[in-house]
Amino acid sequence: MTRNRTAALVAAVAAAATALAGCTSSGGGGGGNAPAAAGDELKAGVFLDVTSWDPANADIGFDGPYLSAVYDPLVALDKDGKPVPALASSWEWSADRLTLTAKLRTGVTFEDGQKFDATAAVANIQHLKAGVRSGQAYLNVADAAAKDPETLEIRLSKRDDALLYQMGLGRSWMASPAAITAGSLATDPVGSGPYKYDKGASAPQSQYVFSKKTDHWDAGTYPFPSVKLFPITDQTASFNAMLSGQLNLQFANAANLAKAKESGWNISQKAASWVGVQFADRTGAQVKALGDQRVRQAISYAFDSAGILKAVGNDSGTVTNQVFSVDGQVYDKSMNDKYKTDMAKAKQLLSDAGYPDGFSVKMPMSPIFAAWQPAANQTFGELGIKVEWQDMAMPDYQKNAPTYPMFLAVIALAGNDMATLTDQVTTAQWYNPNPAVDAFPEIKALVDQVEKAEPGQPQTDLLKQLNTKLVDQAWWAPWYQANNTYFSVKGITVTPVTGMMFPTLRFIQRG
Amino acid sequence: MLSFIAKRLLSGILLLLVVTSGTFFLAHLAVGDPTPGLLGNSATAAQQDALRAKIGYDRPLLVQFWDWLTHAAAADFGTSWRSFQPVNDQLVQRVPVTLSVVVFATLLSAVIGVAVGIVCGLRPGGMLDRTLKLASVVLFALPGFWISLVLVTWFAINLKWFPAIGYVSPDQSVSGWLSSITLPSVSLALGAIVMVAEQLRNGFLQVTNQDFVRTLRARGLSGRRVTTHVLRNASPAALTVLALMFVGLLGGAIVVEIVFNLPGIGSLTQSASQIGDIPVLLGLTAVTVVFVVIVNFLLDLLLGWVNPKVRDR
Repeated sequence: MTRNRTAALVAAVAAAATALAGCTSSGGGGGGNAPAAAGDELKAGVFLDVTSWDPANADIGFDGPYLSAVYDPLVALDKDGKPVPALASSWEWSADRLTLTAKLRTGVTFEDGQKFDATAAVANIQHLKAGVRSGQAYLNVADAAAKDPETLEIRLSKRDDALLYQMGLGRSWMASPAAITAGSLATDPVGSGPYKYDKGASAPQSQYVFSKKTDHWDAGTYPFPSVKLFPITDQTASFNAMLSGQLNLQFANAANLAKAKESGWNISQKAASWVGVQFADRTGAQVKALGDQRVRQAISYAFDSAGILKAVGNDSGTVTNQVFSVDGQVYDKSMNDKYKTDMAKAKQLLSDAGYPDGFSVKMPMSPIFAAWQPAANQTFGELGIKVEWQDMAMPDYQKNAPTYPMFLAVIALAGNDMATLTDQVTTAQWYNPNPAVDAFPEIKALVDQVEKAEPGQPQTDLLKQLNTKLVDQAWWAPWYQANNTYFSVKGITVTPVTGMMFPTLRFIQRG
Repeated sequence: MLSFIAKRLLSGILLLLVVTSGTFFLAHLAVGDPTPGLLGNSATAAQQDALRAKIGYDRPLLVQFWDWLTHAAAADFGTSWRSFQPVNDQLVQRVPVTLSVVVFATLLSAVIGVAVGIVCGLRPGGMLDRTLKLASVVLFALPGFWISLVLVTWFAINLKWFPAIGYVSPDQSVSGWLSSITLPSVSLALGAIVMVAEQLRNGFLQVTNQDFVRTLRARGLSGRRVTTHVLRNASPAALTVLALMFVGLLGGAIVVEIVFNLPGIGSLTQSASQIGDIPVLLGLTAVTVVFVVIVNFLLDLLLGWVNPKVRDR
């Protein structure tokens, strides 16, 4: 999904900003100021501009705070990534889990006066299913129908235990059906959300201003009478704005943690993306060596993950060889030592696989991955793997990386373990172009069992078995899971949610 | 004079045509198929085809070029491939931001640079002259973003005299506008002030040693009137530097816009380049070339006014 592009961008910019951050930190002065207090206005620095106000074309990554101001979702998430009611007040699955029946909230109207009901919800689901960016969440949705004005029925062509999570993550914002038909949502959002977008006071790509609707059905969840969102890609500029009091919340660079503590700010962190080597050619179709499990394991053993996390990732994250979120139920801390750095063992494995002198491989390189390139170069070099780096800009990287047998990756984590299975293992994505699950019978058998299992503990237990098998196969070679960091002044708290690069407004509270 | 203006106008139009045409073909060559960048990699082939048809990318390149050129001739730069908003609307929003900063920086450079240049020219080797020499070395050695960060730390974070980021339109508040462009303009202007002052000071010293100045003094003209004559003869080099500075500052604004999070043409150029939004890039190129042409035209007029011999060339 496109949020992985933003994950990559975030991680790379964070790494690159470290040096600049040093300038501002040592510049001093800011720390001497009394900690700023939260006023009535939330002023948040959000790293990236809104991709589109049309929920079908919006990105999950950083669009959450913008879209959550003007739209209500059908389903929301709690802090642990569990789907909770929003415009859908309750729901239930059919026995075969192919039909989702949702009861809808009544008395909700869109800003253009149109009523929210099941017909409006159906129009939205159809719009989202057809969406360029949102469509991926609805791949298994066959159709949607209004059973009655308060009841929505979504029918699936294939069971999808991650659907509600994806909807809650940012794929079920409800817009006025009239605006959908008019095709005007991209620039003129019409929703039923907790805030009204003040277009006159806003300057697109610079600042967005919202004022609270006091009669909103969930007004109690949103404590700030007004909200200003500032897209600030340069993290030094964002940090300076925090220090000067222009912001009271920012998407932060972990390199500034000491200064944030000194300033008395609230600090929130949570795992957001995994960083490491992605194998796109696990069957060895392009580079025969990568089809051998021992070669992939050798690469996993070779890297000094802790050193890379410290040097490039500001030590903000968890060294692990797993892509299931460290905060989830499937993640197994005890497996983290499986590929503890051991170059001798790596060379032995490579030799056992028939490559004592290594092999040659082409890998793509983009400026935003440059921070990790020296470590990768050194490690591959020691291992005898001769890498020919091919430079390209980031959009080309996304376009071309899937054609390479392996590449460096920063990939967004999911806050739901079934979504992790879909995103990272079974579904083709730009960062996972050849899932090739069928070529690995043991993996395939476990995936089938997981997908048929009863949701809850039985499914989680099977996912744990699958995770163990994937790590054993060196399905990927992650170095660490990187945290996202947020600074806020006293009086404002942020609850990060894995899967959202910047949490939606319901996770920003007073405190 | 009319033929002078007509020649400059014609060469400006020719420059505009050559640069934008070159940019059109180079951008298409560099970007290739823009749809993955615009839609993201989750887009299906059908969605990519639909976008290509919508933006007219499925037409032959020369047809696209002619379409763009004929519309651009009427000051219509088309619609953004990403937002589907008219490029003109984006330019109207962005250009005033960059122009505010660059024009203010140029004014600062002109006023302060000329004043310092005159004083240093009148008193070579004096305290200010020595300071200017030191400043020219230091300011050229320091990277622009570092100067910006120092200014932010002192004046925005510590003293809180100016905002650290953002732009306020003069429609909203004139004082807010001035406040929002002061630090970015000063950041840009510091190097330019030193360069203008150095040029003027050197020109001043050269002209002061010429025979006609001795004659003017011998005829009993006051020091002030002599200085005016010297200044008029010494100013062409400084004016040229100032005009070049303006053009350079337009390009240099990108760093300042990032550090101060200003929504100007620099940051728009960066984002349009990243996603391959060619109509926006072409609109930005055209506007920049127009500014370069206008500034050069004004420079020629000014030089002609200062030195009438130039008009005949």
